[in-house]
Amino acid sequence: MALSGIQIYKMLPQTNCKECGFPTCLAFAMKLAAKQVELDDCPYVTEESKQQLAESAAPPIRLITLKARDHEVAVGNEVVLFRHEKKFFNRPGVLIRVVDTAEEAAITEKVAAASAYSVDYVGLDLRLDGFVIEAASGDPAAFATAVGAVRASSGLPVVLKSDDPAVIEAGLKVLEGEKPLLLGANSGNWEAMADLAKQGETALGVMGGTLEELAELTEKIQATGVEDMVLYPTASAMGASLAMQTQIRRLALKNFRPLGYPTIAFAGDGGNPARESTLAAHAICKYAGFVVVDTFAPELIYPILVLRENIYTDPQKPIQVLPAVYEINDPKPGDPVLVTTNFSITYFSVANEVEGSGLSAWLLVTDAEGMSVLTAWAAGKFDAESIAKAVKEFGIADKLEKHVIVLPGHTAVLSGELEEELPDWEVKVGPREAVDLPGYMKTVLT
Amino acid sequence: MPIEIPVDKWPGTVNTVTLGATAADGGTRSKVVTIGGERSLPFMHFENETPHPPVIALEMTAARPGDWSQVLLDAWGDVVDDPARWAGACEEAGADLILLMFGLNDADGNPVTPDFAVGTVKAVLQATGLPLVVLGPGQAEVDNEILVPVADATKGERLVLGLCEDANYRTIVASAMANGHLVLGRTPMDVNLAKQLNILMTDMGLPLDRIVMDPTTGALGYGIEYGYSVMERLRLAALQGDAMTQLPMLVNPGYEAWRTKESKVGEGVPDTWGDWAARGTHWETLTAVSLIEAGADVVVLRHPDSVTRVREAIDELMTLETA
Amino acid sequence: MSRYIATRAIRGANALVGEAEVMLKQALDEHGADTPVSFPNTAYFLPVIFGMTGREIENLGELPEVLDHARSLLHPTPSAKHWTPYLGETLDSGMATLLAAETIEAIRYIYGLQPELLPGFELAGGTSFTSPDMNGGADGSSNGHLNGAIDDIQLRSWGIQLVDGRMPGFAAIVGCAKSNAAAVQIVRELQRRNILTFLSGNVNGRSIIHQLLEEGVELGYDTYTVPFGTDTISAIYALGFATRSALTFGGMKGGQAKEILHYNKDRVFAFVLALGEVDDLKYAAAAGAINFGFPVIADTVIPQILPTGVTTYEHVVSLPWHEIDGGDDLEKAERLVQKCIEVRGVKVQVADVPVPVPYGSAFEGEVVRKADMRVEFGGKNSRCFEYLRMGKLDEVVDGKIEVVGPDFSAVDPQGSMDMGIVVEVAGRQMEQDFEPVLERQIHYFVNGASGIQHIGQRDITWIRVSEKAAEVGFDLESFGKILHARLHSDFGAIVDKVAITIYTDPEQVDQRLDEARAAYDFRNKRLEDLTDTAVDVFYSCTLCQSFAPNAPNHVCIVSPERLGLCGAYNWLDCKASFNINPTGPNQPIKLGRVSDLETGYWEGTNDYAKVGSHGVVEEVAMYSIMENPMTACGCFECIVMLIPEANGVMVVSREDTSMTPAGMTFSTLAGIAGGGIQTPGVMGVGKYYLASPKFISADGGFKRIVWMSSVLKDTMSEEFKIVAEREGDLELIDRIADERSVSSVDELLAWMEAHEHPALTMDAIF
Repeated sequence: MALSGIQIYKMLPQTNCKECGFPTCLAFAMKLAAKQVELDDCPYVTEESKQQLAESAAPPIRLITLKARDHEVAVGNEVVLFRHEKKFFNRPGVLIRVVDTAEEAAITEKVAAASAYSVDYVGLDLRLDGFVIEAASGDPAAFATAVGAVRASSGLPVVLKSDDPAVIEAGLKVLEGEKPLLLGANSGNWEAMADLAKQGETALGVMGGTLEELAELTEKIQATGVEDMVLYPTASAMGASLAMQTQIRRLALKNFRPLGYPTIAFAGDGGNPARESTLAAHAICKYAGFVVVDTFAPELIYPILVLRENIYTDPQKPIQVLPAVYEINDPKPGDPVLVTTNFSITYFSVANEVEGSGLSAWLLVTDAEGMSVLTAWAAGKFDAESIAKAVKEFGIADKLEKHVIVLPGHTAVLSGELEEELPDWEVKVGPREAVDLPGYMKTVLT
Repeated sequence: MPIEIPVDKWPGTVNTVTLGATAADGGTRSKVVTIGGERSLPFMHFENETPHPPVIALEMTAARPGDWSQVLLDAWGDVVDDPARWAGACEEAGADLILLMFGLNDADGNPVTPDFAVGTVKAVLQATGLPLVVLGPGQAEVDNEILVPVADATKGERLVLGLCEDANYRTIVASAMANGHLVLGRTPMDVNLAKQLNILMTDMGLPLDRIVMDPTTGALGYGIEYGYSVMERLRLAALQGDAMTQLPMLVNPGYEAWRTKESKVGEGVPDTWGDWAARGTHWETLTAVSLIEAGADVVVLRHPDSVTRVREAIDELMTLETA
Repeated sequence: MSRYIATRAIRGANALVGEAEVMLKQALDEHGADTPVSFPNTAYFLPVIFGMTGREIENLGELPEVLDHARSLLHPTPSAKHWTPYLGETLDSGMATLLAAETIEAIRYIYGLQPELLPGFELAGGTSFTSPDMNGGADGSSNGHLNGAIDDIQLRSWGIQLVDGRMPGFAAIVGCAKSNAAAVQIVRELQRRNILTFLSGNVNGRSIIHQLLEEGVELGYDTYTVPFGTDTISAIYALGFATRSALTFGGMKGGQAKEILHYNKDRVFAFVLALGEVDDLKYAAAAGAINFGFPVIADTVIPQILPTGVTTYEHVVSLPWHEIDGGDDLEKAERLVQKCIEVRGVKVQVADVPVPVPYGSAFEGEVVRKADMRVEFGGKNSRCFEYLRMGKLDEVVDGKIEVVGPDFSAVDPQGSMDMGIVVEVAGRQMEQDFEPVLERQIHYFVNGASGIQHIGQRDITWIRVSEKAAEVGFDLESFGKILHARLHSDFGAIVDKVAITIYTDPEQVDQRLDEARAAYDFRNKRLEDLTDTAVDVFYSCTLCQSFAPNAPNHVCIVSPERLGLCGAYNWLDCKASFNINPTGPNQPIKLGRVSDLETGYWEGTNDYAKVGSHGVVEEVAMYSIMENPMTACGCFECIVMLIPEANGVMVVSREDTSMTPAGMTFSTLAGIAGGGIQTPGVMGVGKYYLASPKFISADGGFKRIVWMSSVLKDTMSEEFKIVAEREGDLELIDRIADERSVSSVDELLAWMEAHEHPALTMDAIF
């Protein structure tokens, strides 16, 4: 049974020293109860309390961070099975696989392109997180060359994949000062791999076809002092992988320590992008900590990165779009201003409807802290004042001949106040639902 | 190390619903589709078997679609001008069932009439042996005007009629009840609204095994996470025993995905979006697979290639064997 | 049960079954057992017989069994001496009557006597009897005969409308009206309400069908007014229609008598209107209708059966024509129809708001500026109040709008005048407790009119009418029309009748205002008396889940002493909301066994918490912040949070953006308090809960508050005065710190010392 914030508070120093980054011990205790912080953040907690709190304080899934020159990727620390229960915390790292038997030039080209890839999604800059370098050659020198090629064309973190410790060691040497993932340890090589991980202070991937196999290995490896591990359930077909990923997540959340690590899933299947797309979607939805694809193609990577963003959105803090004036279908000075909030779904449904209708309009998006129209209105974040403020801030009036502003139907009640705030404007009340906007624009506004 | 695998034992079961009726059961379908019956979260075969895998519907329109992406029009070719041929093509593409969508106008641009609707539905039924979902344009008056005669004219076929929405469900439910059809209820991404509509529809006397619900979803990038979580929550509530959430779910990733800018627009978009046609299909496939993970029993698609891919994914998900 | 009715119904049934037996014997002799019997164009055989007994009658030879069954349902007439309940016997007799009547009509079809011939008559909209040999008329058209049985196609078309609610119900009229004018008016009243009307029967040979024909009223499918026949027996077609509705739309099978009867009672809003003298046969047929849950209303003096049971409300109601309130036959007819609708519980929709200005929610927020104003009521220069009260069902006249005093045409432009709006509502589901709930709606209803601005409520109402609205004809009566239409359309579930009186006569305003104020006081008192222990249900509220999807597992449990955390819904609101929308966001939670009254645990609330939170929350304490506090979505008015150092709690209001002694601002705290997760020590609440005697009463109550946002102190000062008295410390509010003087724990502790805050000496909060 998890402890409540108040129970934890009793075991804290109660000095409100703020060194943990929280204003009071109680606030820290509540965060701790919610498993959003680590007990180590409190410098003054007693050993006795530490012991008592250990069970409750450690995150059930260890946070694993891979580091390289230009980027860090952290996965794990998840606390729920379903995103609506709280949220999924750390976006899975999306990695591209290269094989050391490929031409060096081909590796360089693929890695450079993937490494530079960046796509804008609702104002967010989405990128890939790194590479898996797979030793198909079995030759340490060839592997080291491939790793070198990757490192020469990218500063993103890497996963070194081979079950031969000698090969891994050769690759590791190229990555001075980084924290890659070594993939990985199996029942035959785990001791040598654990040594490498310890020496290099890297994370170690653990391979196994069953939960038992995985758990036995992690326990043995942990006993050697390696703490950072990543599970690689080798069942690759979707049904089997879903079962294993789910079981690992469930057991981890029940504080079954041997499986309390993030996982890695390979969606690549010899470069069949059709199958990669479904496997990647599956892995993102169902619990993978790293998702590896073979194909680097923008039309595939873009939707994968967007899906990751969507599934890992905090359900309590909706995605927001930037408050601004959005131009839909090349609006002219005579076109109307439609106003809505910066909750992404609200924005998208309005923008989509208008865009799809072929009609032009200026879409004024106000800062409503990411709430939908009704919620924002109820919370006082979408009122005549804030709308008027946005109108002025974005200087929309200067772009217009006709000053017509359309309120969402649900907030008809704001029309009077808005008229007072914007005396030179004609305030109209639009439909309640975005889907009725095109009809409204055709009949009422023209 | 022996590990005790945590197994969820749920008290509830999703309703089993059969779409379409063969001649033996009063219809003319050569094939029927049964969905639902789950006693676990999707594909947890180690807990309970999944009695009926998710199925794929292909969407077609009664008149050439005016607003579909060029990618889709290219994929289907000229069958989009002939509902009967289009239905045949859907069957060939591997659909389990067909969703026939009426717009406000017929092929000549005139407002849809009951005769046009009945004629089109009959032509499609003739052209395919698959079960059929028939949706009106979503305006209460028009929906009722065309769906009632369609229901009358196809008595016993176990069509799925829709959309039943909060503001307009009574007429559609009544005509489904009178003619042995099923209905599709849609609510806007909200567990309670979905429950409420289900209560209202069953209150009219329509049995639960004749209702499918569409909890609504968003496309990838356009709110999929809301639909996804609402579906997960509905399914959890169903398994926990809440009867009014135990309806199989139908969602329309095809419609959602193909109206996004990413799928619809090929020019003037960033290079980082990649190839248009491939992107559109990926967009649809990723949306569909994610929703299947969340508990969809029927996914409605638009692109024939997506059918193949989603079918492969379902087949893989239905087995515990490794590839 | 009236012995009189029982006697006459049983006698009538005996007679009709006998008559049917004679007719059947003759028909068998003349036509033979193999002669097919059927009603035209139906797949349901003889529908009442099929529905009630499961027999698929296809020829004459199968009918004797039916009549044997009918006879077995007959009973001797009640003895004059012994008083026994007769309901069962009477209902059985009614059923026997229906079986016999349908048998008779089936035989008459064989003889070409049905549909009944009526030379010169033309059915509006024709009929489906297009086959000459099926047709009583010689030319095979729809001319020269009445309608007879309703065919399946028409059944389907009307059935859908009855099921989907476009048609509220049907009326089976039997007999003859007092006058032709009354007959026409009754039918017009029914048509106006979209109620399907079936006509049959006569009084001394004269039928309402004759009356209507003489007045040139078109009868037939097209006018929703169908002439079955001029005898009582033809009324059986109405029940055949009802039976087939259940078979078609209820998915029932022939022989499922009980299910079919229940279906009709629950879903088919039909009633029998008996006009003129009621003979034995009519009593018997009426008893048959009561089996279907259809009540009988007569316009003559007959004994009434008022208790409910088989029907939803009264079984038999007598409303003698001469006693009906109304100046002429037209008014009487209107009242009679109104009464029928009430007795059956038919709900009538008023579609439009009949005012001369545009109406809709789009106009809710309009402001009428002084310069654009025609007149104002209330505000600085005049008085205005609104008062809604419950009236008696038989006293409130629906739609009556009266203006007592001059209209505002007499007032100078931009002037003001006194006004009182008194609304009387009546309804079978109406309760006095709903008065304030409905009264608060007046604000929204009036605001929906373009050019009208409404602010405030009760006796601080302030209404402005714009010059524009007045120009197009908006007057005092318009207020009444708005309220009548909206109360019906939005609250039809609890409101059957609405009457409005607008007072502008200053003396009257005085008087009515006193009455209204007495009622306001009474309501306030009522709210005070309404404690958690005085009720046995609380209500759930999931209203916010529809538009605040970020807390999927949160539910509010609303009790009389703890309103919803958004502040918008109290217990009475929830109760009304449930009555209006039984499948909506407010569901009753039966409390069941008390587990711990001090902390606030009931079996019912805990069970609900589990279900409502989808298993996330196991238990919820109604009166504690320290253990199992209620969860929150995010729309709370204030956040209460434990300050352990102070042995108390602080309360921060949504309006307050300053730093609190918890080291966090409201918006940071909201992240901890919301999300539908139970976090002991933090809780989101509605601000009126602070003044409730049950405010964290398990943890020490109001005295635990050591700090609160000053805006709360200001806006709640009246309520807090009462709390201070209740707690026996008039200085209590002044001992509580606020953001103007305290923004950290250290400052708080110093303040508490200086102001002798009671929490310092209370038991440790944990």
